[in-house]
Order: sequence, then C-alpha cells, then structure tokens
Amino acid sequence: MIRKKQDRHGIVRESIEGDLAQANDFDRRDPLFGLSHQDLCGPQLERRTVLRLLAAAGTLSASHLVPGMGIRSAAAAKMGGHLRCAWAGTAEIVTLDPARMNQVLQFQITSNILSGLTHIDANLVAQGDLAKDWTVSPDGKEWIFNLREGVKFHNGDAFTADDVLFTYQRSSDPKKSIHSRVISNVADVIKLDAHKVKIVLKAPQASFLVKTLERSSGRAMTIVSRGALESLGKSQYGLTPVGTGPFRITFHELGQGVVLERNEDYYDPARPKLDKVTITPITDPEPLAAAIEAGDVQLIGGNTPASELVDRFETNSDLVVNSVSDPGFQAVWMNPWRQPFEVTDFNKPVDQLMKQNGFKVRLALAKALDRERFIKRALFGRGFPAYGSINPAMGFFFDKDLGENSPQRYEPEVAKKLLAEAGYPDGKDFPKLRLLHNPANRRRAQVVAGILKRNLNIEIELDTKDGPVVLQDYLQMNFDLALLGSGGDFDPDDAIVDWMQTESKFNGLKRDKDKMAFGYFSDKRADELIDQQRLATDPAKRKALVQEANAITSAKVACAFLYHPMSILVYHKTVDYPAVSRIPGLVELDRVTIS
Amino acid sequence: MWAVATLVFFMLRAVPGDPMLAMVFDTGDPAAADEMRRDFGLDQPVYVQYVKYFLQVMQGNLGTSIYGSRVPVSRIVAEAFPRTMSLAVLSFLLATLIAVPAGLISALKKHTPIDHGVTLVAFIGLSMPDFWLAILLIIVFAAQLNWLPAVGYVPLAQGFWPWFSHLILPTIAIGTPFAAIIARMIRSSMLEVLKSDFMRVSRSKGLLEKRLLLVHAFPNALIPVVTVMGIALALLMAGTVVVENVFAIKGLGRVLIQGILNRDYPVVQGAILVVSAIFVFSNLLVDALYTVIDPRIRYD
Repeated sequence: MIRKKQDRHGIVRESIEGDLAQANDFDRRDPLFGLSHQDLCGPQLERRTVLRLLAAAGTLSASHLVPGMGIRSAAAAKMGGHLRCAWAGTAEIVTLDPARMNQVLQFQITSNILSGLTHIDANLVAQGDLAKDWTVSPDGKEWIFNLREGVKFHNGDAFTADDVLFTYQRSSDPKKSIHSRVISNVADVIKLDAHKVKIVLKAPQASFLVKTLERSSGRAMTIVSRGALESLGKSQYGLTPVGTGPFRITFHELGQGVVLERNEDYYDPARPKLDKVTITPITDPEPLAAAIEAGDVQLIGGNTPASELVDRFETNSDLVVNSVSDPGFQAVWMNPWRQPFEVTDFNKPVDQLMKQNGFKVRLALAKALDRERFIKRALFGRGFPAYGSINPAMGFFFDKDLGENSPQRYEPEVAKKLLAEAGYPDGKDFPKLRLLHNPANRRRAQVVAGILKRNLNIEIELDTKDGPVVLQDYLQMNFDLALLGSGGDFDPDDAIVDWMQTESKFNGLKRDKDKMAFGYFSDKRADELIDQQRLATDPAKRKALVQEANAITSAKVACAFLYHPMSILVYHKTVDYPAVSRIPGLVELDRVTIS
Repeated sequence: MWAVATLVFFMLRAVPGDPMLAMVFDTGDPAAADEMRRDFGLDQPVYVQYVKYFLQVMQGNLGTSIYGSRVPVSRIVAEAFPRTMSLAVLSFLLATLIAVPAGLISALKKHTPIDHGVTLVAFIGLSMPDFWLAILLIIVFAAQLNWLPAVGYVPLAQGFWPWFSHLILPTIAIGTPFAAIIARMIRSSMLEVLKSDFMRVSRSKGLLEKRLLLVHAFPNALIPVVTVMGIALALLMAGTVVVENVFAIKGLGRVLIQGILNRDYPVVQGAILVVSAIFVFSNLLVDALYTVIDPRIRYD
C-alpha cells in the first residue's frame, strides 16, 4: 500500500477503507474458512494459505499477483551504495540491546542487525527468520523449530540452538532483561539437537509467533550472541550488539550516530543490497527537513516526522512520502476514580451504566470528540479515527464497522444531552479538568481541549509534563484526563492484552491498590474474551473474540479512543524502498537500494 | 565544585519522575524496575546514596549511566568534550575576531554613522535567538545553496575540511551573539579609558594616535573585557545546548539536557561536575590573565 505523491486526504483513506471493505466475515465464503493450525505451521506458509490470509486481511492487490512486480522487482535491484539516514525525534539511540530497548525507534534499527526465530512481513504475518520451519502440537503448547544451519554471528561464531537457550535464559531473568514478562508463558526451551529446539508453553498462545518470537518488537527472544556479550561487556554490547542480521554495526557513539555495514555472511546471499548505512539522530524538525532537502540524508526513520513537515515534503518532487497505517492507537484516558466521571464498577450492562452520571460524562466526552476535526487540525490529515484499540494495520482483526456501531461515534448533540443529564447543562458547573500529556503531544492536547470546549462548553486545562513524570502519574492514576497510547502493536495482544484487561500492564500499575480496585478499566466479560482469544489458534475464532472484546471496551468507554497514527517514511527518489519491506512502524533496509 | 555537586545530587532526587519506571513502562514489569533500582542502589536512603556517590567521585569514578546501555559517564563526557571544545573554541575565535575591531572602531568613531551602524548590528546580533539564526543558516547555506552540511559532526581525525565544514554554521550561530556582547563591552570600556587622565597626558605628550590607542588605551580597557570573555568561554563550553540540538551535535550541553530528560542521575551529576570544573578553571585563567594584561596586579 505504497502512496507516492498522492492526495493524502482523499486517496489514501479511500483506498484503505476500500481494502478493508473487501475483508469477509466468518462464513463459507470467508477466505479463512477451514484453515487449520497445521496450515499455519512455518516457515513459509503455503501460497494458498498466504493468499487466503491476504484476501482476508483485504491487502491483496495487483502487485502481489502479477509476476515481476512486488518482491521480484526488489530482488532484481542493484547492489551496493551508502544510504544516509536521519532518525527523527531523538537525540540519541540510548541502547540497542534487546534486553533494554523500550522504544520503537530502537528496534527499527536492531531489526536490521539482529534476528529472531520469526519476523513479521508487510502484512504483519510471521515468517521464518532464523527458524527454517516449525511444527506445533495439536494442543498448541509445544512448538518445535528447525533452525537455519550455517548461520554466523557478525563476530564469526556459529548460530546454534544453544544461542536460543541462552537468549531465553537471559531474557527470562528480570535482573538482566526488562522484557521477562513477554515470555512468562514459556515453560521451557529444550535443545533437541544443534539446530532444533522445542519451546513448551504453559498455555496455548495465538500471538506466539508474532509477539513473542518476532525479531524486532518482540525483543525478549531476539537472538543475542553469548560470545559477543562476554567479550564486549553489557555496556558496549548495548551500543554495538552482535547478531546474525543483514547488517553489522561498525560504529556507535551516543548522540552522534550509528554506522551499519553489509553482513557478507548473511544467510540470504541476495541481501542486503546496500554496502553501508549511516544513521544520525536529529531532534528538531527544521534541521531534519533541511538535512533531507539538502541531500545530507536520503531517508528519515525513527519517529514519524512532524505532520507540518510532511506537507512540505509532499510538495518536493525530489522526495517520496510513503504512508501506511501505523500499528497503534492513541486515546484520552479518563480517571474513573475521580469526579465527574467516576465509575467504580464497569461490570454492569451498558444500560445500567447509563444510569450513572459518571458514565454519562465519560460517554459524553467520547462522543463529543470530533475525530475527523482532530486529525485535520492536530495531525494535518494523517491519521485514522479510532473507536477501539485494534488498529487498521492489523487488517484481518480490525473492525471496520466499529466507527458506526460504537456508542463512542461522534454525535455532539447527544453528547450535550448526556452532559446535561449528568447535571452539567451546556457545561455549566462542570469542574475544570487537567489533561496530562508530554511536550511532544502539546498540539494534540490543545486540539482536544478546543474540541471539547466547542462541543460541550467545558474547560480543559493543559497539564504538560516531562515524559517520565507523565508515565509516573499515569501508572499511579494521578490524573483527570491523560493523552497517550500505544505503538508497535503488530498483534491484538499488543493492544487488548496490554491495555484493556484488569491485569493489563498499563492498567494503573502503580496505583494505590487499597483505594482503587483497578486502574482505568475493568470488565469481567472483556477479560474472559481477551483470555480466550489468547488461546484461540483458529484465526477466525480469534478474530471474533478480539472484535467482541474490542467492542465492549469501546461501548463501556474504557477510554475515549482518539486516532490510529500513520507510519510515514520519507526518502529521496533515488532510494528504492520495495513494498515487501514496508512493514508498518519498521524501517527494513535489507532490500532497499539506492541509485 | 563540591557544593555544586551536592546541590545537584539532592535537587535531582527531588525532581518528580522515576527513571526506572520510565524504562520499563513499555514492559509493565515492576519486578524489572525493582531489580534495576536495587542494581543501581537507588532503593537505599538518599544519604547512603550520597556518601557512596561522594566516595566514588573522590576516586575519580563518575559512575555509569542508568538509562539504556549503562555506558560509563566518563566515556559519555569524554566523547562529548572534543565536540564542545571544537565548537566553543571556534565560536570564541569568531566572536573575538568580530568583536575587537568592531568595538575599537565603534569607540573611536563615537556618535558617528559608523558607531551607530556597529551598534545597530551588535543589537541585532544580541537580539537574534541563536536557534533562530541557526535554522536560518541551515535553510540558506545547507538547504538552498547546498554549500555546507546541515547537521552532524565529524571528528578532526577524519580530516580538517570535513570537521571544519560541519562546524562553520554552528560557529556562526553561537559566535555572533557573543561577538555583539564583547564588542559592546570593548566599546564602553574603551570610551571609559579614553576619557581618563593618563590618556590626556599621553596625548599632550604628543604620542602617535595609533600607539596611544593600541599600546596605552586598549590594554587598560581589556580588564573588564577579559572578565566577560572568560565567562563567555565557560558559557560556550556548556551553554550551547540549543544550537547543539539544532545541528545534532552531542556536546556537553546536550548530554546534560538528555540526562535531565531521562532522569539519568549519574550522567547529570557527572556532566555538572565537569561543567563546574570548566567554570572554575576559566575563572582561574582569567585571573591569571589579569597579571599579564596589567602588571600592577599581583597575587601574593
């Protein structure tokens, strides 16, 4: 879904909605009908299975079907060259050690250096990376992976099953890794031979291939080199990690940049195409724009550039703006333990919740959020209205009708009425609320406050705080309203498991548990559905469970869902960025060429 | 320096925002945060942390960064220092090269159109925010004319021109306001000296105007100017964070700001210690220079 120099407001959105419209429900005509777990065993899904998944995700296009286009054209491209990149919105790449990484812009880089057993493709489907193929037991608990043979780490060490075991042992130890919780469902990793491992799960996990074993966002099972860790030490390994990926790091100075060079021993001799990649972190928008306009850099990775810059880039005939839906969501969170939107039990049916003033206020705020206006004003048209946590990039799992069916749909008159019923006619006597946000979100917070003032006549005071303070206040439930959300959500688990369950990791993690039974939301039915979808290995069944849970969180106003962002890559027209590498949120450089 | 280090140590811990929580927010694993807190001794009482920190510093150990890769602070500072030094020295030279002739001419041509012109330019230089000038320079010389690189830094070891070309624009952005300050200082100091009795006597003795100005007036006018220049040099070593950000050069200022944003206590403490050392030594240098400029000044 590459867009080059197209009208962002019209064509992109129409096209994506058109794609989604082609997705089928679960019936005999559904492309997924009858797919078994055996069909989903790796490394490469059968062509028939892939086509059915793509059709179900609504992402089949002429380029996938016509010989000579898409993947093939990228493979035929020329080799060599030095690509200079800017990494936007960051002053330094603080770490590249998978055990310590906590930002998308970090694993955008490591995805080019390190490998996992699997890696997602442009349709967010897991494909074999260091795993050559795999089988799964009928109960979904035992996974046997055949590993690629002859693979070498950048330091010359051979990759074997021992490295998988070492990575697991390191990542499962909270003293060594911040991602130990990601693999908490793994009961054991057993070496069967030098190139075969068995991973035993405590319970079946539908997201296992996409969330746990994935090489970029997964991180817990991103394979690390024991030899390199021991010889380099933790600090240096964090700067120049050694992996088996298409590029190796030859230089990294904090704040100055990272240099990658072609890994001559990469298991796919056709990749990478480039000889060298230089990555320079640039914080400020204007120098970033000048750097790419002057040709100092040829590609912008890292955080999505400021929306106003993207407008400018689109008018520059030397540049390509490549936009796809980004895997994430942003929302306005309402503290249910504070007036005027106090709701201390979400388990009641919606019609009973509607009798509570606190719930009426929550719904009024959610309904008053004119998402189209927000996207136009705050994002310069680059985003999609959100009514749930499942994002359009997930294609297959995304509920395209939620915007119409959710009680959160934009209805300003109904919102006013709800607010009046809650005791605040025309916003009268409504308490002045504070909207917590970090400095990067200030413009968005201003637009939200403006829309609520316009539609409900209520005053929202902006509460701008440093990132660490925002996180602390959010996790302690120390806010009225908060503006933040999730990124790098490649699997439904990244959204609904991480955010929408009573025990979700963001759900008031540091709250006073004696005073607050949960953080921002808790619903038993949603919890059950989310648990069930985690275990569902049948994609269609999982989709139904995910969508039902998503609809509940939307209907019961877990938060006022605001927008799904867009993943925007900007590069010079001399850069050929093939569609197969355009994985939302990532910057995959192994197939990129430069003329 | 001890007072500064102590003040920074306690102030940092009073600032809201838990660095460990920020690191594990993505994973939501409180166990990992607790482990890290223990690992860095942040679970101990503040006074215990302070004593440990103090003993560490006395042994020349600035600790390791607690955010990200846990790189030793001394390494972070050592990497940033040459960048800051390059930028500060070049900016200082540029400021001096502009300020000395401008200040002298302005003083000698007092209340003439030349003086007004220099004063106007100086005020413009002073009034321009450095980040604004920096962005303007990037747009004109990098984006439009394509003469110079827009961002980044290349070490001197990789060649003089690559190093110098990357520093031209930031040097102009930083040096211009300082040139304006120093030029104004030289002008007022020179005017003061030119009015003094010894200048009248010297002039009545029939000394050549050129000798009068350069040998008698200018050295006497330098004492306050050198004081300002000393402070300016120290400020340049740590106070160029905005321009460093614009040009993506990680100098000491940027290390400091990034440390504060990340709540990376050891980095902030280490960088502040280095910056305060720079201030102390630049003041010492200025004091020593006084004795060279004015032989009457002696420190017994």
